[in-house]
Amino acid sequence: MPLEPAAAAQLVAENMRRSGFPLPAPSDVAYAWARPLNLPARGSPMLYTGALYQLMPYAVSLLEYTSRLEGTAVSSLALKVSRYFTQLAAIAIRPDERLKAYVERVLRSIVRLLERSGIKVAYPYEDDLYSGALLYDLGLDELFAEQAKKVYKALKARGAQEVITVDPHTTHMLRSIYPKYVDGFDLTVRSYLEVLSVSPSQAGKGEVVIHDPCLYARWENVVEQPRRLLEGAGYQVLEPRRSRRMTYCCGGPIEGIAPKMAKKIARVRLAELSERSKHIVTLCPICYVNLWGAAEGEKVSDIALLLAGEEG
Amino acid sequence: MKAFEEVNRALEDEELQLALGKASLSSQLKVEEVLRSRPELAELAKEVREIKKRSIARLDELIEQAMNSLRAVKATPHFAEGAERAREIVGKLVGSGKLVVLSKSMAAAEVGLREHLQSLGNEVWETDLGELLVQLEGSKPMHTITPAVHMTRRRAMELLRKAGARVEGESIEAAVRAAREFLREKIVRAHVGITGANALAADTGALVTVENESNIRLVSGAPPLHIAIVPVDKIVPTLMDAVKVAMVQAAYAGLYPPTYINIVAGPSSTADIERTRVYGAQGPVEQHVVLLDNGRLAARGGPFEEQLLCVRCGRCQYECPVWVHTANHWGGPVYGGPMGLAWTAITHDELEAGKLSFLCLGCGRCDEACPVSIPISRMARELRRRALTLGKP
Ligand code: SF4
Repeated sequence: MPLEPAAAAQLVAENMRRSGFPLPAPSDVAYAWARPLNLPARGSPMLYTGALYQLMPYAVSLLEYTSRLEGTAVSSLALKVSRYFTQLAAIAIRPDERLKAYVERVLRSIVRLLERSGIKVAYPYEDDLYSGALLYDLGLDELFAEQAKKVYKALKARGAQEVITVDPHTTHMLRSIYPKYVDGFDLTVRSYLEVLSVSPSQAGKGEVVIHDPCLYARWENVVEQPRRLLEGAGYQVLEPRRSRRMTYCCGGPIEGIAPKMAKKIARVRLAELSERSKHIVTLCPICYVNLWGAAEGEKVSDIALLLAGEEG
Repeated sequence: MKAFEEVNRALEDEELQLALGKASLSSQLKVEEVLRSRPELAELAKEVREIKKRSIARLDELIEQAMNSLRAVKATPHFAEGAERAREIVGKLVGSGKLVVLSKSMAAAEVGLREHLQSLGNEVWETDLGELLVQLEGSKPMHTITPAVHMTRRRAMELLRKAGARVEGESIEAAVRAAREFLREKIVRAHVGITGANALAADTGALVTVENESNIRLVSGAPPLHIAIVPVDKIVPTLMDAVKVAMVQAAYAGLYPPTYINIVAGPSSTADIERTRVYGAQGPVEQHVVLLDNGRLAARGGPFEEQLLCVRCGRCQYECPVWVHTANHWGGPVYGGPMGLAWTAITHDELEAGKLSFLCLGCGRCDEACPVSIPISRMARELRRRALTLGKP
């Protein structure tokens, strides 16, 4: 156990207070990728990423770092010295460069896909704030409520009425959880996978096996659209034994608290997926990172890159 | 962290990992098959959710009614507020120097009944084969329905032989045959039989149990004294309701049709001589039913209330990506896995459950699997929230 849950929660809370992100990351981490795109900074629909994709390269490095603490005195001390620990962590964290480049390609592909479907989005740049998903999952409700209000206010101030999200966690937070925490919440929230226009199926790109992320499949009903989109892009979509509403978790959510367990879960899932195809498509950055990190020869691709024809 | 040490050991245990992988796959396929071939069972599960919800809403009244109904069928009801009181009641009824046979009961495990009766100088035997193996091993049940899920046949044989059962050969059949002989002899001589129940009907005082091994019918039917220990959340209004609960439990445990559904309402009796009713025919002369609260009544209206709808089918365990690597080494001292978290909070210690809840992925497979739609993952999040805000773990 690299970090006690309470210490991990404290670390997250401390980072939120310092930087607005749950882990140490530079202040432009959320929007650096979009600078060259010069998207309108106000308007609707508003593309809102909630920074989850962008934080993954930092999460991976941080977790590598904390796993090295496993069994050392630091992990048990962390609870008492979290302020010190945070600073320590902040210095040590360099993003995983390969992953950083990858998620930036994914995000740019999403903008291109939206454009191809005739959807011109605004983008809030400095106000592409963290959604607070991890705070909610951990049960840090006060911090989460604060963050939810902040995000809502910022998006409204930039003229958003409709928000387009890019990952299941942020989609779930805004669509299903924010309304319980933010009075008068009135944004329409849809995942980009729900707004892209579907072309008639075509063949030619080969087979992929789809890994449904839990939140899309069980809470947000984003199940059929990704399949139709992939078919439209020329892929034959294969189903693993456990899919759709009964999909199987990638293990990612407990990567920070129990990396060994997370890895075992990822291996179980990878084995099941690769029974159908060695090419696995993910719809969530956490799934991508966790499956990719545990892969032994399987190829893992984010759906956006396949749809945009950026990866085959 | 101490709570996770057990989990870490489980992860390193290759034999356990293999056994759990196999068992969970076979259970998942079995339940899927049962539900696919009999769509009416999913409908029945919805009905059972409503039955249980209504029952929890008027539980005080149902407890009262159940106690009256039990008296009417010449059973003796008892009410135990907590584990200690339950041990005391049963301890007094059993006394010492007796031979006691038990049928697998999570409620008995919850109050530590076997150990207590042994400490009073009784000889106590589990009669469910899996539970017997767990007893012989000195471990704890690793799943709600299949307590010895972690054991290989080699281990099972070794334990049975050590206990004195005559296992001839190395086949599983031989082990089962040996256990049958071994237990038969105890059941026939037993002074007391102790069972749990899947449901208790308030209208009739009838206990409903479901099983495949036939040990529950023997344990509740052969010894002169039958004691049932029944958590209050198992009380439902009618006998029909109780049977429905048992059917759903069996279906979602993948045991369908169940080999036996037993209905027991009071001690055995006969009126064959001059139409005069005499209690104690071939079965028990006396029957006692201990209703166990142990935190359940207080859980009503709280964040974990919906766990009281649980029919203990164990499906959430076999479907949980974490549990299939830990078995009941994760989830609490008695109840384990997804269902174990809230049950641990209700019957044992909320903070301990809170610490354990950080291993939950929040993936929601358990919610989807649960026949009575308990929002298990939502309660796990609530446990985390409370652990972080109420007590600093
Ligand atoms: S919580 Fe639901 S799935 Fe789990 S044991 Fe109880 S009834 Fe079965």
